[in-house]
Amino acid sequence: MIRLSAVRGPVAFRVLFCLLLLAGTIVTPWTFAAAPKRPAKPQPNLPDLKTPEDKMKFLEMIRASFPVLRAGRNVSFDSEDLDRDLERQIAKGTSTPFAEIIDDETFIRRASIDATGEVPSAKQVRAFVADKNPKKRAALVDELLASDAFARKWARYWRNVIFYESNANRNMINPQALEDFFFEEFKAGTSWDRIVGELMSSSPARDRNKKPEDNGWNQDYGPNNFILACENKPELIASNTARLFMGISIGCAECHDHPFDSWKREQFHELAAFYSSGKYYMTDQNDPSQKTEMTPKFLLGETPPAKLKPDQRRVAGAAYLIYNPDNYWFARAYVNRIWSELVGDGFYSVDSLGPDKEVQHVLTINRLAAAFRYSGFDIRGLFRVLMNSRTYQRGIATLSHPEDLFTAVRPSRLRPYEVADNVERLTGSLGGLRKSMESTFDANPSIPQSDLEGSIQQALLLMNNPTISGKLANSSLKKDLVNIKDDKAMISEAFLGILARTPTPQESVRYEYFMKDVTNRNEAIDDLMWVLVNSAEFCTKR
Amino acid sequence: MINNNLLHVTLNRQGLLTRRNLLQLTGGGFAGMMGAGILRTLGLNAAEMKKQGRSCIMVFLRGAPSQMETWDPKPGTENGGPTQGIQTKIAGVQFAEFWPKLAALTNHISVIRTIAGKEAAHERGEFHLRTGHRMGPTKFPHFGSVVAQRLGDPESDIPNFVSIGNTISSGFLGVKLAPFVIGTPGDLPANVKSTVDARRFDRRLAALGQQDNEFASLGASYIAQEHQDLYHRAAKMMTSSRLKAFSLAGESDATLQSYGNSAFGKSCLVARRLVETGVPFVEIQRGGWDMHQDLWKNMPRTAGEVDGAVSTLVTDLQERGLLEKTLVLVLGEFGRTPKINQRTPTVGRDHWARNFNMLMAGGGIKGGVCVGKTSADGQEIEDRAVAVDDLFATMCECLHIDGSDEMITPEGRPIRIVDEGLAIRELLS
Repeated sequence: MIRLSAVRGPVAFRVLFCLLLLAGTIVTPWTFAAAPKRPAKPQPNLPDLKTPEDKMKFLEMIRASFPVLRAGRNVSFDSEDLDRDLERQIAKGTSTPFAEIIDDETFIRRASIDATGEVPSAKQVRAFVADKNPKKRAALVDELLASDAFARKWARYWRNVIFYESNANRNMINPQALEDFFFEEFKAGTSWDRIVGELMSSSPARDRNKKPEDNGWNQDYGPNNFILACENKPELIASNTARLFMGISIGCAECHDHPFDSWKREQFHELAAFYSSGKYYMTDQNDPSQKTEMTPKFLLGETPPAKLKPDQRRVAGAAYLIYNPDNYWFARAYVNRIWSELVGDGFYSVDSLGPDKEVQHVLTINRLAAAFRYSGFDIRGLFRVLMNSRTYQRGIATLSHPEDLFTAVRPSRLRPYEVADNVERLTGSLGGLRKSMESTFDANPSIPQSDLEGSIQQALLLMNNPTISGKLANSSLKKDLVNIKDDKAMISEAFLGILARTPTPQESVRYEYFMKDVTNRNEAIDDLMWVLVNSAEFCTKR
Repeated sequence: MINNNLLHVTLNRQGLLTRRNLLQLTGGGFAGMMGAGILRTLGLNAAEMKKQGRSCIMVFLRGAPSQMETWDPKPGTENGGPTQGIQTKIAGVQFAEFWPKLAALTNHISVIRTIAGKEAAHERGEFHLRTGHRMGPTKFPHFGSVVAQRLGDPESDIPNFVSIGNTISSGFLGVKLAPFVIGTPGDLPANVKSTVDARRFDRRLAALGQQDNEFASLGASYIAQEHQDLYHRAAKMMTSSRLKAFSLAGESDATLQSYGNSAFGKSCLVARRLVETGVPFVEIQRGGWDMHQDLWKNMPRTAGEVDGAVSTLVTDLQERGLLEKTLVLVLGEFGRTPKINQRTPTVGRDHWARNFNMLMAGGGIKGGVCVGKTSADGQEIEDRAVAVDDLFATMCECLHIDGSDEMITPEGRPIRIVDEGLAIRELLS
């Protein structure tokens, strides 16, 4: 249950208390300036929410009613703070040495995949290695984050996250519109609070004059698609809001009190009531004929004025989610997701946090989350802090003890569309094969990397697919390789072109033998390319 | 903790392993951090019955066949329409006229007439009847994935779950138990033929092994070792002698004829070959049952194809001594309205999940039983409603799988294979 706390100390203390020590205090529910003393009466001057802009204005209005935590403005947490903080904490638990900082070749590949989903070309790798600028890594990060590819990578990611577990009818959703919405917002540098605010306050309605597939649910308007992915059902909106935007799993509480958490069944249904267009009832567990009407209440007990219309209530819900200073989950969930994608492990599983004690290095992520919040939820700013840190730039390891978490980066499988991109980078368009490739490499983006597995079909596809091998044999890389007469130079070029790095001396020697061992050089080059494309490294971010 | 999921304390209604217990068992096991693998391995250990050779063929009639025109006809009534009945070997039980061959086989086959479904939309019904669970936020696995997990040999050189045609996937059980989908019956699986000769292929594989080893030594041991394992298994599959079970090679013309020349007939034959070679679960499909209109125009051909091929399949399995251990299911996602609709140009029947029928044979199912009774107008269940859960409990029993066993989702939630069904006793021998 929610802990009611009497703590109302100095602001600075509250910031620390709320955000660092994680006390779940309740902020007084917001009231309107027009009628602060009689909230039960109908509210005058409530804006009519005709357009998304109206909703955002209303969201701002509610936001302004939350207490301002001035001390927060000075919260800063840069890459150096992060490393110092984390290294100190990690050193308390383990004597495992930290992995070394990666070299330039590894860095450009890792950073490009993380920021843009793209594997850099041989030319880009060479130029980066040759660059004498001592701050070239930071400069590369800035350059990558400013690119359209950055916006596209993360738009695809969020589309995938939101739709992966959705059972919504295809005729009432438009995933591409959602992706394009994310793309435009990420590109424009819109802050995370505004993006989620738009998703959460949308209330797509059925247009009876149109067929569902002809935009009958207004699904062509991108932000409508979170609610539509939840099939407009209050229970799904509630559980997915908690799961995707707070990182906590309360879905079980739909049917019973959460087994390992403090969430109660009532709380779940009070949250669901937020998203109902009419009255909302909770069915009795023991006697399904008994139903209790639930009044909307957000997870920390925030209650909206009773007279709000359904769409106004949604905006209020968005405000409670995003701007209640006591809801530390919101900022932290985003930070943890991005961290998890970048570093390979999260501080906790991105969408199924139970009690807070499951969070590893909780002080560090809370500070990081607080800094993210007080930066105005600045997305690129967060990426900058992470990608310029030592923690991010460490070598890979398969960690064998929990205390070793973040002493190294976990090698991560590329996302299905990134695997397809990586192959098409070499082969050119695969046409219809691309789609089956994406489904063969399909993986739930919310499952930790450590839980993902490969399949035999994936191996067979890359090994034997005649389209892929045919296109590789005729690719421009192949032609370039054939024209390099010196084996050593050819091998080096093949590695750079396919794995975006130069071969180690050992590898170089090994493949020189490999080349000498065969009579048909053309075939041997095909074989070399096959080996590199089929290597575990090819589909992995290292 | 790398995978916090593993730290969740889970419900422990049955006193079974929870994730936390598991961690204690493995000594705080960071080995367990290798992911869900170990959980699945533990699940596999429970299958001491692995080599019993039990298997299941699911014949899925996509589109939802009409019970009134299949195995619960109502001749001479208004709702029954023009469909005539034919006598089966079960006293007092008629099949619709379109099913003469299966009617003659009812000494081996039993019928359930009173499945009480919950879903009358195709996608949701297909999910329910293939997984035993209703569609929702949890990604339930296809029953075939559960069977593959419980009965399949994890070291098998060909997949433990084959589907001819797309189907529901393995959900939270993970990709290793996903259906291996074949597009066209008789074709070898995609990409099992090397594009180079054996000598070059071996050379490539050897070089790949070294390449992956090196990657492992650089810190990617988990991914690189798993990758090598997959490539070994893929290579093993490419050269497996059992691979020919996917094809129709060596079947006589007479056999091909008896299964019928249709794609569905070939699917039945391939299913038999796969089961014969030890694949524990095969799904095959015949679509075209969504007969909102033109029902009586389309029924003879559609039903005829299935009647011929499935009766041959059951007979063939029986003659080969496989029927006893092979459970055959013939079902769709729901049934159709007893009342005939008024569509043009010609009428049909619409979606109906309240009562529909299916066939079962083999795998410990007694032949010659008719479970349940519907009213004369076909609108109500008069006797013995069978929940989908009951059906799945029966299937589990036939396959010697404990339906009350729990599977654990990645979120740490334990889910029983069958939620709360009771096996249909009168069907079990």
